[in-house]
Amino acid sequence: MVLFPLLAVLVQTLTGASVDALQAPTGTTAIVFLFTSTDCPISNRYAPEVRRIAEAFAPRGVTFRLVYPNPAENAAAIREHMSAFAYAGATEALRDPSHTLVKFAGATVTPEAAVYAGGRIVYRGRIDDRHVDLGVERPAATRRDLFDALTAVLAGKPVTPPTTQAVGCFIADFAR
Amino acid sequence: MTGGPEGLRYNSHAARHHGRRAGLQACLVVFFGLVASNGIGQAITYSKDIAPLLGDRCGGCHHSGGSAPFSLLTYADAKRRATQIATVTKNRLMPPWKADPSNGPFVGQHPLSDAQIRLIARWVDGGAAEGDPRDLPPPRVWSEGWQLGTPDLVITLPQAYTLPAEGSDVFRIFTLPIPVEAARFVRGLEFRPGNAKVVHHANIRVDPTPASRRLDEQDPAPGYDGLIARSAIYPDGHFLGWTPGQVAPLLPPGLAWRLDTHTDLVAELHMQPSGKPEPVAPSIGLYFGGTAPTRTPAMLRLGRQNIDIPAGDASYTITDSYVLPVDVDVEAVQPHAHYRLREVRGEAILPDGTTKPLVAIRDWDFRWQHVYRFETPLRLPKGTRLSMQYAYDNSSANPRNPERPPKRARWGQRSSDEMGDLWIQVLTRDDDDLARLNRDFRPKVAAEDVRGYEVEIEKHPGDAGLHDDAALLYLELGRAEEAIAHFKTSLALKPQSAAAHYNLGTALTVARRLGEAADRYREALRIDPAYANAHNNLGNVYMAEGKFDAAIHEFGEVARLQPESAAGLKNLAAAYAMAGQFARAVDTADAALRLRPAEPLASEIRAQRAQYLKQRL
Repeated sequence: MVLFPLLAVLVQTLTGASVDALQAPTGTTAIVFLFTSTDCPISNRYAPEVRRIAEAFAPRGVTFRLVYPNPAENAAAIREHMSAFAYAGATEALRDPSHTLVKFAGATVTPEAAVYAGGRIVYRGRIDDRHVDLGVERPAATRRDLFDALTAVLAGKPVTPPTTQAVGCFIADFAR
Repeated sequence: MTGGPEGLRYNSHAARHHGRRAGLQACLVVFFGLVASNGIGQAITYSKDIAPLLGDRCGGCHHSGGSAPFSLLTYADAKRRATQIATVTKNRLMPPWKADPSNGPFVGQHPLSDAQIRLIARWVDGGAAEGDPRDLPPPRVWSEGWQLGTPDLVITLPQAYTLPAEGSDVFRIFTLPIPVEAARFVRGLEFRPGNAKVVHHANIRVDPTPASRRLDEQDPAPGYDGLIARSAIYPDGHFLGWTPGQVAPLLPPGLAWRLDTHTDLVAELHMQPSGKPEPVAPSIGLYFGGTAPTRTPAMLRLGRQNIDIPAGDASYTITDSYVLPVDVDVEAVQPHAHYRLREVRGEAILPDGTTKPLVAIRDWDFRWQHVYRFETPLRLPKGTRLSMQYAYDNSSANPRNPERPPKRARWGQRSSDEMGDLWIQVLTRDDDDLARLNRDFRPKVAAEDVRGYEVEIEKHPGDAGLHDDAALLYLELGRAEEAIAHFKTSLALKPQSAAAHYNLGTALTVARRLGEAADRYREALRIDPAYANAHNNLGNVYMAEGKFDAAIHEFGEVARLQPESAAGLKNLAAAYAMAGQFARAVDTADAALRLRPAEPLASEIRAQRAQYLKQRL
């Protein structure tokens, strides 16, 4: 069983430094990568829910990292985005212009979450089930998939289901 | 709105720049037509194949400053959303057009063909190449401002409303006074959302009464939550409203609608939170024309207000129909419902049995409530049956169901309730036919409205205004006893209201229960001695009871309270005559005529006076 990738998954901080996306301080129980983009309407609508989940789980050792896979979104645009949607303080931000982490996690759209715990991925998919498809949405979510996944992880239980289909903007369109 | 001359420009441009290649392609088409039309072996590029499509079919909204949340007019714009473009065109989410493409043709209808959708998919699958920029069509210039030109009057919400960062859809009603000094004739109305990211559609009405303004004033923030007032209406049978991409074209001058002074525009905005607080300040541009309308459309409404869908029912159907008493031209149709509707069918069955579709929607989406305007009005002869059938899904399998688990859904204007209307705008041959149509149609719509009121009253039994409105409709339908029952309930809710006593008195008068009616009028006058209408109606009761001196007293009060009312003096004159005081009757009729009353009142008074004069001699 491979617990850690053989090579570091290199992404960029907003200051341009290359870092291993999976590196985390001691005591981290889980890392949540939240793939997003500055102008994807569906991603942006989730900002309050992402903040709520991040703040709820931060005291229990869960680190939230917003991942911006669009190479056209530079550090200044990302800082402005984080400020407009009040992410600053609740989450870290990483740039993934060459889609290293996108491929590693298997993310396809924004917003999509990938949760790592115990050195492996335990959940990948939607934040909740509000968006059924592009153009089809429920008035309110009936399942909080990401919230439930983190609750299961912290309770030492398996996440069910471990993957869900996220709905949003396609990361494939953010090519180099 | 698009196409036409622009399309021609593309063609001439292509011929100018690519004359030789166009000739070669023509040869290929002739000899290898099948291969060329499938495009096998030809690289599909943005510049050559995709830019003309996006410019023509998407650019109307997806341009900078347009009604869509982002532009699609450059390669960079298209490339960074390429997969999304392929997906939403394939599932026909975009361009937004819910009606069956075989209906109409409607104004602004230009769906992508299956071949065009496949072309986009192949472009994306092949890597969304840019190609040679020299292949690009000439850039289209889209107005960032008003699509109908510079308006004669622009009204903007003075203080922006702040849409909260999250939550479910928000419906908010804004009342905007229209500052005109004199009556104007309106040829066009263009709505600009003020924040295209969050405003999804707008229902627009005009309210000649202060009712909407009062509702707005009761809410300290801009606009108010709740329902559009019943007094806020479509003007003179014209649709107003906005969905992204739809701007109603200017009306021909003879069809303009009259805008009186002291009228308010009422706009109900459907908004979707964006993730952060958003300011919303819509603007409305009005385009005036010179003359009074020579023709006025009629607005017909099919539909049911006794909708009652059991929880979990996945195929609940309503139907309605109406047989036209005159020839009409159908100008436009608009289906309306909320989240549970799935299928819409509206059609016309002609007297010879042939059926013409009006509009059909297989996958209703509340967010795209277009007005479908026929490019050529649909002529329907007298005797044609207009019919509608709507099917709803109130099960949990319908993701748009606002209730989970599903709940019984009844008729109501709130988005959690359900509705089912098919509005049909028609033009008659002349004003006589219009009057005949309105006379014939009005009882049908009033009977349906009264059902809706009964549902609302069941939900809100303590709302006196609902009882009053229902009672007025019952009076209109000649059902006085039901009107009396509702006015009695209303009176019990507000026993100190002179108007409530007066209203009940009026219904009792209609039911010929004159003694009880007089009691109500007297009670209204005890509360408000200056209530001229109560004096007048009490006077009429006394006349019917043969109490002419008492009637003279009441009509005298009307004349004192409303000295400019010729109708009041006419009644007073009649009372004098009945009491045998003909000289006073003639003098009073003369006084009424000196007020220069309008016709037909003036003629009536003159005829009356002639009678009194004969009696006096």
